[in-house]
Amino acid sequence: MSAAATRPDRSYLLRKLHSLSGIVPVGAFLAEHFWSNSYALVGVAKYNEKSQELQTIPFRVIVEAAVIWLPILYHGGYGVYIWLKGKSNVSDYPWVGNWLYTLQRYTGLVAFAFIGWHVWTERFLTQGKSTYSDVEHALRNPYYLAFYVIGVLASSFHLGVGIWNFLCKWGLAATVQAQRAAGKLGATVGFVFSLVGILIVVSFRLNWHPFGHFVTLK
Amino acid sequence: MGETKKVILRVKRQAGPKHAPRWEEFALNWRPAMNVIICLRDIAENPVTRDGKKTTPVTYESNCLEEVCGSCAMLINGKARMACSALVDSLPQPIRLEPLSKFPVVRDLAVDRSFMFESLKRVKAWIPIDGTYDLGEGPRMAPETQEQAYPLSRCISCGNCLEVCPQVNENNAFVGAAIISQVRLFNMHPTGAMHARERLEALMGPGGIADCANAQNCVKACPKEIPLTESIAEMNRQAWKQALLGWLFG
Amino acid sequence: MREPKIIVVGGGLAGLMATIRVAEAGVPVELFSIVPVKRSHSVCAQGGINAAKNTKGEGDSTDKHFDDTIYGGDFLANQPLVKRMCEAAPGIIDLLDRMGVMFNRTTEGLLDYRRFGGTLYHRTAFAGATTGQQLLYALDEQVRRYEADGKVNKFEGWTFLSAVIDDGGICRGICAMDMRSTEVKTFPADAAIFCTGGIGAIFGLSTNSVVCTGSAQSALFQQGVDYANGEFIQVHPTAIPGEDKLRLMSESARGEGGRIWVPRKPGDTRPPNSILESERFYFLEEWYPKYGNLVPRDIATRAIHRVVFQEKLGIHGQAAVYLDLTHIPREVLDRKLEGILEIYEKFLGINPRKEPMKVFPGMHYAMGGVWVNNEDQATNVPGIYAAGECEYQYHGANRLGANSLVSCIFGGGIAGPAAVKYARGLAQGCESTPASAFERERKRQAAMNEALIRQEGGENPIAIWRAMGELMTEHVTVTRYNKNLQQVDAKLRELTDRFRRINLSDHTLWSNQTLNFARELGNMLVLARVITLGALARNESRGAHYKPDFPERDDANWLKTTRANYSNGEIKLTYEPVDTSLIPPRPRRYDVAR
Repeated sequence: MSAAATRPDRSYLLRKLHSLSGIVPVGAFLAEHFWSNSYALVGVAKYNEKSQELQTIPFRVIVEAAVIWLPILYHGGYGVYIWLKGKSNVSDYPWVGNWLYTLQRYTGLVAFAFIGWHVWTERFLTQGKSTYSDVEHALRNPYYLAFYVIGVLASSFHLGVGIWNFLCKWGLAATVQAQRAAGKLGATVGFVFSLVGILIVVSFRLNWHPFGHFVTLK
Repeated sequence: MGETKKVILRVKRQAGPKHAPRWEEFALNWRPAMNVIICLRDIAENPVTRDGKKTTPVTYESNCLEEVCGSCAMLINGKARMACSALVDSLPQPIRLEPLSKFPVVRDLAVDRSFMFESLKRVKAWIPIDGTYDLGEGPRMAPETQEQAYPLSRCISCGNCLEVCPQVNENNAFVGAAIISQVRLFNMHPTGAMHARERLEALMGPGGIADCANAQNCVKACPKEIPLTESIAEMNRQAWKQALLGWLFG
Repeated sequence: MREPKIIVVGGGLAGLMATIRVAEAGVPVELFSIVPVKRSHSVCAQGGINAAKNTKGEGDSTDKHFDDTIYGGDFLANQPLVKRMCEAAPGIIDLLDRMGVMFNRTTEGLLDYRRFGGTLYHRTAFAGATTGQQLLYALDEQVRRYEADGKVNKFEGWTFLSAVIDDGGICRGICAMDMRSTEVKTFPADAAIFCTGGIGAIFGLSTNSVVCTGSAQSALFQQGVDYANGEFIQVHPTAIPGEDKLRLMSESARGEGGRIWVPRKPGDTRPPNSILESERFYFLEEWYPKYGNLVPRDIATRAIHRVVFQEKLGIHGQAAVYLDLTHIPREVLDRKLEGILEIYEKFLGINPRKEPMKVFPGMHYAMGGVWVNNEDQATNVPGIYAAGECEYQYHGANRLGANSLVSCIFGGGIAGPAAVKYARGLAQGCESTPASAFERERKRQAAMNEALIRQEGGENPIAIWRAMGELMTEHVTVTRYNKNLQQVDAKLRELTDRFRRINLSDHTLWSNQTLNFARELGNMLVLARVITLGALARNESRGAHYKPDFPERDDANWLKTTRANYSNGEIKLTYEPVDTSLIPPRPRRYDVAR
């Protein structure tokens, strides 16, 4: 490389974009998605109402492409490229950070595959009109159920570690103490997402709506 | 008289860069406070394998033997560390010695780490003084700054942080934690800070700081306990700030 | 005008400083070093670097630094150059500070200074407990900058074999070996500056690094470069005993208040912390109340030997005394001495903040070295310069702590420009030297290698080296007797005979470290004899040279420089007067005020 370069290299920008895209918009969308799906815990009607609201936003396809599909495709695709450039050595150095590094790659791949399948079945096969019963129906299949559970856990883990990575890699958590705090934050996020995700899956599977008793307008 | 206590050593031998590696086993007489260097010297004095075959002394790098020169890094029982401070009594036997795997092997345990020195050139790891003539005292510095910078300046370029980094491999010319930390050191110095931009630009090139994937192995493997992950985070912040400014006003 | 070319051999502090100065003058430099220069032995210097900056209101001055240095060196050093060094020292500190050395600071952001042996002033600037490392890195970085600019060409992993000296007795380049390919090659140059450091390996175990063999100095000596004051060997009072190396415990440990003691009761086996204050013998403080634990190194070393060998007060009857830091607050220790305490902890597994360290003297430094003139580091062979520990000029009969770093940088700093001036003034440069002169030297060196590779003797080079080291350590360090020195010389000749029958046990031609070691060993044996013969001849006690049969300094007969010369395989000693024109010699005593 030329020492006289005056601008950051393209690979630097792509890499930074990859890191950023994991939080915004992908991570943010994941949060939104878990939130809107948790309406299943309230009730079928409430869930369908919420879905309908989201399915009928203006410029829908453009927004979906710009905020969800392209960022996920980029984050996943470039992530695989990054994976190929690294070489895990966790068997030689079984340290926590190194485990997270390795698991981040596998969970990323699992989450990417799950999201792809999930989007295909729930967005495209339903022509963008997925309802409570579509999901509920899908989860009756034990293989789909297992895939959902794994997908939710992988995505949550990946986001949790991703938040830690993001804070370190942007220097927002620079000191050892700050990095420790960032790690705790990431762990909390990962745990909360896992928990909420599993609750949502359980809700669909068992038609369980624990917050339904607050609904007064039937 | 009972049999004297032995130290069993397995050494990965390689006659040259293009030769195939092979293993040799040695049985040495144990003494108190033995370290891996003492073992290698024992072999040099009597180069005979455990099964009685004559062999050659093991080629390895060493110099200060007190962990400040950075020469004797190698894989000891699969872990990157300095041979001089690897005490035999603290290692399970047989003790396996291998060359660092991320650098080209010269012979046996000696590897070529010139990549690190080239990287130091690349990031301009120096204070660009005007000359050696008398220009008075250097800039004043808060003791606090010195206390932060001094640990960074103790980097011995041993290469252990590169060895343990999953991002350093034949597919990826990542400069590694040591060099990034050196940039932090020079950017911290009042004179060095005047040229922080050049160093950051170098760090934003291919193989630069963006290749770090935060496995944080480096800081665990550093024999000098340099806060490498802090350095990387700090440099990351300086780098993207500069990148953003360059992009906005560039 | 023709562009001269200069070679520097050795990449420690002196070599790097010389390189910087030559490159700064616009002259291309080829820098040769066995190890990557960043791994040179200078990294081991711990305590600090002296300069009389007088920042503590003590009335220190460069004159006092000069006087301490001359006095500490027992008046054997030529005075004018030492004076120049002491005067230059504050400027050297400024330069290093500008280069970014992370010296410890005061609350005002100025450099902090500590006390060191042989002085009553706070005169030693320091960067934690790894000052040598910090200084070396600063110079290494400057050289790397010149290297990136194409002004310096490094040959790391090359070992110096010999100088190329033409028929007129002028050095025209060097012959060196690539330690990987074992290729022997000559490199023409108009001048060569040797900064090849210490000679610790001659004593087997020392505080020196592996590469400090004195091989280059010896090779030059055998080619007609004189060697001076070889018999002056500094034994550092506080080293950590070890089988591979004696690891230094810096004088700064005492500079920061560390105390040396042994139990008063011989063979006391109690752990040190349970021995009461009144049962401890702080012998340095009792014997030398003024300087206490900070007497010069030769004095402290002999005191420890006396306590251990004559008074039989060594810890548990062994050859060791306590160096105690446990009374110093932990945060002070961690801030100012962390590096050296870490060494003790790492290599012995004992925390010196809680338990006193066990130390014993170990061979540390050669005051003697390549003879250079009184002005600009030139040797007696035109075109050959020397600087740093490998030459003899600055420390007389004993070096003061924290003076070596300053002498390396000062010596390297004047050798560089001197070599440039010499090279520019040459009527005919190395390019006009016939190729045959280079080829002759290359063939001679290659033939020596081939002979070593091929020969099938029964002697192991490491065994010979160990024998030499034990001999030298026992008889040619702290206490010297003529009878023993004669025996040592005879035994060194025997070892030289055995050396002729060595078997390398590695007959390959790629990265053969045994070959290189054998070459060094051959040279070490010669230098060992120079040291021994110098010691044998000098019938007095001065500085580090101590003969119980001649316990006093004898200025009438021995205030003179030993100058060894080699011709036809024989070592000859001649003597020349010491320039004492600035400070008249006076008795050296540390038990009372001067």
